[in-house]
Amino acid sequence: MSKSSKPKLLWLQSITCNGNTQSFFTLPDFIVLMNKFEIIYHPILNSGYTLADVTNKDLKCDILILEGSFKQDGMKKAGQEILATAQKYAKKAKHIITAGSCATFGGIFRQYDKNSISGFCFNDDMINENYNLFRKKLISIPGCPAHPRWIGSVLSMILTHRAIPLDDLHRPLEIYGYNAHSGCPRSEYFEWKIDSKNYGYKEGCLFYEYGCQAPYTHANCNKILWNEVSSKTRAGTPCFGCTEPSFPKKDLWHTPSLMGIPASMPVGIPRRAYLTLAGIAKSFSIKRLNEPIIKYKK
Amino acid sequence: MKAETKKGKKKESIIKAALALFSLNGFYKTTIPDIARRLGMSAGNIYNYFPSKDILAQEIIKYTSEILGHEIQKINLQTDLTTHQKIKKIVEVYFNMATQKPEMIEYFLRVYLSNREVFTGECDKMICVAGFITEIMIFFADGVECGELRDQDFFSAFGLFMGYLGGMAFLNGESILSRPLESYIDEIAYNIYHALKT
Amino acid sequence: MKIKQLIEKIEGEAELEFDFQNGLVNDVNIIFPLYRGIEDILRDREARDALVIAPRVCGICNHAHLIAGVRAIEDGLKKAGININLTSKAISLREFTLSCEIIQSHIKWIYLVALPQLSILNRIKPLDSYLAKASWSSNTVVKAMSIFSGQWPHNSYAIPGGVSCDPTYEEIIHAETLLDETIRFMEQEFLGINIEAYMKNQELSESKGDIATIWNLINKQNIQSKGKSHNRFIAFGEHEIFKAGEYSQNRTNEIDTSLVKEHEQPNSKAKSVTYNSLCYEVGPLARAMLAKNNRIMSLYNIHKDSNLIRIYARIDEMINLLLYAKKLLANLHPKELSCTLSKFPKGFSTKGIGAVEAARGSLIHETVIRDGKIENYTIITPTQWNLSPGTSKESGIAIEAMKGSSSAEEASFVFRIFDICSACTTH
Repeated sequence: MSKSSKPKLLWLQSITCNGNTQSFFTLPDFIVLMNKFEIIYHPILNSGYTLADVTNKDLKCDILILEGSFKQDGMKKAGQEILATAQKYAKKAKHIITAGSCATFGGIFRQYDKNSISGFCFNDDMINENYNLFRKKLISIPGCPAHPRWIGSVLSMILTHRAIPLDDLHRPLEIYGYNAHSGCPRSEYFEWKIDSKNYGYKEGCLFYEYGCQAPYTHANCNKILWNEVSSKTRAGTPCFGCTEPSFPKKDLWHTPSLMGIPASMPVGIPRRAYLTLAGIAKSFSIKRLNEPIIKYKK
Repeated sequence: MKAETKKGKKKESIIKAALALFSLNGFYKTTIPDIARRLGMSAGNIYNYFPSKDILAQEIIKYTSEILGHEIQKINLQTDLTTHQKIKKIVEVYFNMATQKPEMIEYFLRVYLSNREVFTGECDKMICVAGFITEIMIFFADGVECGELRDQDFFSAFGLFMGYLGGMAFLNGESILSRPLESYIDEIAYNIYHALKT
Repeated sequence: MKIKQLIEKIEGEAELEFDFQNGLVNDVNIIFPLYRGIEDILRDREARDALVIAPRVCGICNHAHLIAGVRAIEDGLKKAGININLTSKAISLREFTLSCEIIQSHIKWIYLVALPQLSILNRIKPLDSYLAKASWSSNTVVKAMSIFSGQWPHNSYAIPGGVSCDPTYEEIIHAETLLDETIRFMEQEFLGINIEAYMKNQELSESKGDIATIWNLINKQNIQSKGKSHNRFIAFGEHEIFKAGEYSQNRTNEIDTSLVKEHEQPNSKAKSVTYNSLCYEVGPLARAMLAKNNRIMSLYNIHKDSNLIRIYARIDEMINLLLYAKKLLANLHPKELSCTLSKFPKGFSTKGIGAVEAARGSLIHETVIRDGKIENYTIITPTQWNLSPGTSKESGIAIEAMKGSSSAEEASFVFRIFDICSACTTH
């Protein structure tokens, strides 16, 4: 394949920690995938152009990947407002991918100044003026960071002209149609409403007391796993809901409750249905689930 | 009438008769033949519907709890009411039941709470009263969510609310109160609201 | 003559303004674009929110930010009279995951910065294999750490009183296997000799590994002895493998954190930092000096704090850490408790400092907690030490090192030897 026949990929960073760049680099087939594109600019990879070229010239671009939150003004790169550079290429690109929660909704860095810092097309879950201009080619891949496979798979789907069904926040349903709770090895404890004794145990659920947002967080982390081996809840850490426009909420290590009832229900479950089942499940004392899974001899 | 519905109707009539006798004479003094006699059926036939007196007692508490829960659910679904108005309506429902169907409240106080050994196994903890508890939980959660009620432990709020109503119903049942039970509704709703509000 | 250069792909960018006199760099002005406000974002949040928010300072050393954050909270709890005693399991796991993060960062510096940039300096096209090697080996290490931390980047598995994971032997063995694979890679591709031979100081002159390519490319540019700075080193993080202390005038001294001062800078969003009003170098070289690492000390006696030894210290640290990480896993016992703090206290007020050694040097977090909430949060990153503009009396560490470079390209490479992280610098 000659160089020019490859789709042109431009990865632009705004206000970011580079977490999505670093995360994407952990994709096992990163190099094979990236070789299918002509890299106009990328924060790690060698590219044909410098950042100054990208800002000052009018380069061709098929796929624009944005990382980081955007500031109305005062965030210059190579002498130009990065928002203006992003808009310039957004107009040309056939596909716009916002990689990570900052570029999608505003994320962590939006918290510094909600009046001037936002996602590229969303301010939290509200659309902004860019949305109206670019919605037809927008794919949201939120997450803090986005899972490498989310970015990788979407790029491959674009390359192979496959359909990408999206939800109303433009998140691909094949990824975000699941919730982070699906596949959690602690789900049996969730079913029987057995709380973890504390952090640091492989037994018990983290939803009731310890802040876990997995039942209402759209993501397939526990289905495809992180770094191919684990996930937050597998490591005993609550899910912090990082793929949602509400990320980051406050008081992240504690489950908000209304007189003892979790304030947020699992996605789509009516509270009355949840409470009826929860009340029944809770009244049984299941011996196996209240014991350690493994007993090591002293 | 389908056989299933017919069986359901019969079951309900057994529950109603047993409810009246249990709440009047107590759990142990009431026998299955007593219940059968009141219904004009044989004791053996009752066992076709309920395998034991314990299970019958458990079915009764589920039955009363669902009736009360259903009434509170109707109040919970009226989203235009303030929390104070909802409290007043719950008190009203409870006191109406205490005066018009006193056996229901009596059963809860004299049978369910006094004979805990009967309500084990399938009826452990609060499963049999889940229909009622669920609605009370939803009432509290809605109150906290709209900012009218203080967030606290469920049972400390539940005890204050239901213990108070149960106590008043008991005093009424013992004919100790000087006024009709309904005349206390406003005061009691006021007290409960002020004890639980933010 | 002034030359401006935008340095890219350093976890962001930095602008360098070189002042040349007689064909040599005479002074450098370093400018970072934007303050991102993490410290402000943390204010008024619950104390432990820092364990989720602070790692988002940096995509490449996020885990060090987590460990610094949890140490700051634990220090605060201790000062508030709450007992904090970590089990050896929790200590080992934290050390392991932190070591892995440092290793992956050093790998990326070697294969994504050093080898390509040195190739370019020598007008050679960088080999495609550098990228493949960086990808495979860094990901193998990151996978090993994620078995315990849940993921990388951005996990929050270190919590006050220990760690949130509760691994089995089966998982520990999985991590060991991944480390073994990384060690094999280092032996075959990077060192060109086996790791035991390396540790016994076997000569690398016969090596056909990538380490030999690095030496050759440096020697060809004749910059091995350049890049000298102030010969002052500091490390704040206490670890089994690293020693906290301060090294100046050929002596090692204890440190006093009250002598650390942050200074605003007029033209840049990065705050500079000094110790006892002096500029200090942090990072692998500083750590090697404080730990009295023989391989580095003997070279230091010849080359001082030059380009060569700064690079060698990073490479040597990567190898040391691989062996250290293996040792940590070998002594890990699942039956111990993961977390010894049974309930996180509410509404307490205190102050705490947490220091760790991150890939690029010492990282310090300071939290002021009032009624359980963060009243003030301060983060001092490694790059702030190395890139400080200096004081009225002396230039900063990296600036001093760049002085005397014969071109902007050479000076930029000297700058990159410090493994610059733009993100951390302007948190």
